[in-house]
Amino acid sequence: MSEVLNYIWLGVLAVFTGPDLFSLFGIGIPVAPIMVLGGLLTGIAVGATPGLAGPMAMAISLPILISIFGFTPDALLPVFGFLIGIMKGATVGGAVPAILFNMPGTPDALMTTLDGYPMAQSGQPRRALRIAQLSSVTGDTFSDIVLFVCAPFLAVVVEAYLDLPEKTALLILSITFIAAVMGSSVGKGLLAVGLGLLASFVGTGQSLTPRLTFGVPELSGGFPLVAAILGVLIVGEIFKGIEDLVRGGNSGRKGAQTLAEGVKDRLQPGDIRRIAPYVGRSALIGTIIGALPGVGSTLAATLGYSYATRRHKARKQPEDTAFGAGAPEGIAATEAANSAVSGANLIPVLSLGIPGNAAAVFLILAADSIGGFNPGPAVFRFTTPEVNPELVIAFGIFTLMSIGNLLNWLIGGSFMRSMGVLARIPQHILLPVVLLITLTAIYVQETSLFALWVTFGFGILGYLFRRSDIPVLPFVIAFILAQPLEQTAREAFAATGANPWFLFSSVTSAVFMLASLAAVVLLGRNRM
Amino acid sequence: MKDIFKPLAVAAAVLAMPAAAVAEGWTPPGPITMMIGFAAGGGADTQARLVAQGLEAKYGWKVLPQQVDGNSGLNLVAELVNAPTDGTAIGMVVSESLTYSMMAAGNPDLQIDKFTALATTASFQTGLVAMAEGNFNTWDKVAAAAKAGEQIRFGTASDRQADVAYLFGKAAGIDFNIVPVKGGAGVMNGLRGGDLDIGWVAGAQSKPVTQGEMVNIASAIPAKLKDSPDAPLVTDLGSKYVLDGYFMFVAPGNMDPEARKALGDAIRDVLNDPTTEANGLVTKVFGGPDVITGEALDAKMSEMNTAAATMLKDAESN
Amino acid sequence: MHRNTADLALGLCVVVLALLAIFAWVPNDTATGIIQKIRGRQSIGDAMAPTLAALLIGLSGLLITLESRRKSAQEGPHVSLFNLGFLAILTGIFLASVLLMRWSGPLLVGLFGPEGAVYRDLRDTMPWKLSGFVIGGTFLVGGLISLMQRRVSWTAVCVGLLTAGLLIAVFDLPFSDILLPPNGDL
Repeated sequence: MSEVLNYIWLGVLAVFTGPDLFSLFGIGIPVAPIMVLGGLLTGIAVGATPGLAGPMAMAISLPILISIFGFTPDALLPVFGFLIGIMKGATVGGAVPAILFNMPGTPDALMTTLDGYPMAQSGQPRRALRIAQLSSVTGDTFSDIVLFVCAPFLAVVVEAYLDLPEKTALLILSITFIAAVMGSSVGKGLLAVGLGLLASFVGTGQSLTPRLTFGVPELSGGFPLVAAILGVLIVGEIFKGIEDLVRGGNSGRKGAQTLAEGVKDRLQPGDIRRIAPYVGRSALIGTIIGALPGVGSTLAATLGYSYATRRHKARKQPEDTAFGAGAPEGIAATEAANSAVSGANLIPVLSLGIPGNAAAVFLILAADSIGGFNPGPAVFRFTTPEVNPELVIAFGIFTLMSIGNLLNWLIGGSFMRSMGVLARIPQHILLPVVLLITLTAIYVQETSLFALWVTFGFGILGYLFRRSDIPVLPFVIAFILAQPLEQTAREAFAATGANPWFLFSSVTSAVFMLASLAAVVLLGRNRM
Repeated sequence: MKDIFKPLAVAAAVLAMPAAAVAEGWTPPGPITMMIGFAAGGGADTQARLVAQGLEAKYGWKVLPQQVDGNSGLNLVAELVNAPTDGTAIGMVVSESLTYSMMAAGNPDLQIDKFTALATTASFQTGLVAMAEGNFNTWDKVAAAAKAGEQIRFGTASDRQADVAYLFGKAAGIDFNIVPVKGGAGVMNGLRGGDLDIGWVAGAQSKPVTQGEMVNIASAIPAKLKDSPDAPLVTDLGSKYVLDGYFMFVAPGNMDPEARKALGDAIRDVLNDPTTEANGLVTKVFGGPDVITGEALDAKMSEMNTAAATMLKDAESN
Repeated sequence: MHRNTADLALGLCVVVLALLAIFAWVPNDTATGIIQKIRGRQSIGDAMAPTLAALLIGLSGLLITLESRRKSAQEGPHVSLFNLGFLAILTGIFLASVLLMRWSGPLLVGLFGPEGAVYRDLRDTMPWKLSGFVIGGTFLVGGLISLMQRRVSWTAVCVGLLTAGLLIAVFDLPFSDILLPPNGDL
């Protein structure tokens, strides 16, 4: 136990005694917490801007951060700090345009418009924003605590009890689960996964002659990870947005609404007591949903809101505002649920190396670009006397998340209220600008125009996916997991002395394999 | 915050000493592209970037580092072979890429004679590594377990390492389960997680060995290991082959001899100067600089190439 | 019986492509087979994983074909001719921007540069090193804005210039080792 505490302490120290940004009255101000603050403010601003989203901001800032901090392990915590800040900020910020303009800044804020906008219309925009912020931060904090406890535990169990064949089977289970659960149909989910795997196998492989390159020498290293991921995830979305504007022509925004006069616009006495049970319930729902890879915050928000509707109907007093007419409980239930997803979503990525959502994808991308930290069960090895630097980083990440929550409590609310103006940036300017920034950011990292063509190609693919209702995230996750999966399978095959049935050689791995089959069949039938 | 301002400081230093390079007789006609054949962030990558910084600070040459990693260094050499020969394109790889890997891949356009070796930076300290507290912490235990019929998982990080492991097993009468993993870090992770029993590591094991977490049960170079002078040589245990090698800088073939000499000397000066960060890192992580240039390096490369050819032939006939 | 024709077509296309991958592409473009035995070691070959991925794709195509029976013809989005036209224009704008990025610098050096100079040696020298990025980047942003507004405007050009300028300020001014397009390709 003492070694665990020791590592936690080292993680905290790593954050606060890292390189100093500047010194104030002789006391050095460490850079990592400042980066969390910067990321948080950026995230709130980005979340408040419809058309931008957390992943986009993470994508753009990553190469800038790497340029600033370099490719050394010292860079990990400041870079993660900023990215985590964005992640937390964007969840809160998404509520701003939803409440003020009836325009969700992020997809998961859709349910927030249902009660947030009516409340703002009735002259209480500040009260609505405050409730959204409080619920969001509470949900997030709860979820983070679950993460801190579960991730190390899960990782230790995996590392202690799973051999190479079982690890292979676990990866297969995760990928099939994601395919089955995301998107409109299992067929399309599997298609996204299959294409992601195949794309990732181009150029890689163990033989000294690179595979599947069509003889193109630039492909001998495979498609660059950032180019492929940003292409599908960000550029595809930009292309779709551009086409919508080409078709629709007008990109005007709704004007500011007139507010009712003479209503007290701040948190009302009893609000906290009123929303607390809804926040608690939604936080739990969001955390459970978040812990499953691939199940998004939109589902959590929907579930949280509908459970709250049922409860509210049952216990409603006559003087209470109904759901849909500006009920504080409605805002609270949605925001707590969608924010509670973000912390728990890091459980599979930190403990198993399996990213479950876009934010986790970018944390993996950052770790991969900088080097020195490979998310997965090997991270949580409590070695003594040799200090395991990756474990220190992991606890450093937990510390950064706690700092993010604290800052979100303290200043998130006031910053949020000043962000309403961002919802007015016209899309037809925003989209091309973000495109050039993304392309430049990729070039800076890959230094080849070929990488820009790869980005463009994957952007077209992402666009076609969106137009054909094929989910993009399973593609990205499969692209990331393809190589660990193939590598683990190769190792398992070799380690078992070339046993072709290694996936079924133990009970655990056979159970995992059956579970993946069950996921496809059962979840598939439900939707057909 | 040192890291933020480092690039600025280097730029300032470059501007401040424009004449230094002229004194050397050769200056690059433009910025030098330095391709790095290793994944970003690792020790080898950092080493290359620090040499680049040293060259900028000491000579005022502009060096632009670029990552071209993957496929045992063959992606880098494929790009480097067509680059200008005036000294504005160099790359960092391991000697194994130029000898064994090129030979095994068998592309006639990519063989050692199409390249100019500039300078080595550090030599491998390859050991056969196992967990200190595990069941295989001496060679005798490995041999005894194998004799008792136990399957032994042997981690290797390259084709060459796998071949040597296979031939070593043959010579010792052991049929290892040879497991190809990603890099020396992959071998060490496998050992820690219990997925592997033993494995080759080319130098990264130094820290865990000195801290008592792992042991070198044998040296896989033709000399005793610096960290474990008591470990026997694999050649004494029956292996006909070793896993020696160098980190090194290389340039396209038929290079301007003046440029070759100037670059080789410059890299040597940076690495052997105890005040540079490059020297500090190589001393800490790779057991100190080991710089060979010019004709001595050509002789060394040809020697290693012959050894690789013999080993490959032996492995293929088995 | 109702069928969603868009999904049906998608499913059948996917099946055909998967078959092509399994029987033509993967076997001809991998150096080692499904299982290989070289130099005494038996291991999984480079063709194994891509073949399995292609099988999965084929399976997904069959599932999509099956699922298409349960949806009505109008249900669900699909790729239209308008979409393809848009992609063609987009590709044109992107191609032009990349060409401008790559060749503006060498062209300007050839026309106005010092006697006998080549762009490669000037790729770290102001103002040449930024010329391709500014021209190509401005064209990309300006072109796309003009496409959306259906007219070319000075505002579009200015937004493009400002974005390129902003990126230069972020990447080029503070960091001496960072290369903007196209300077890493030389």
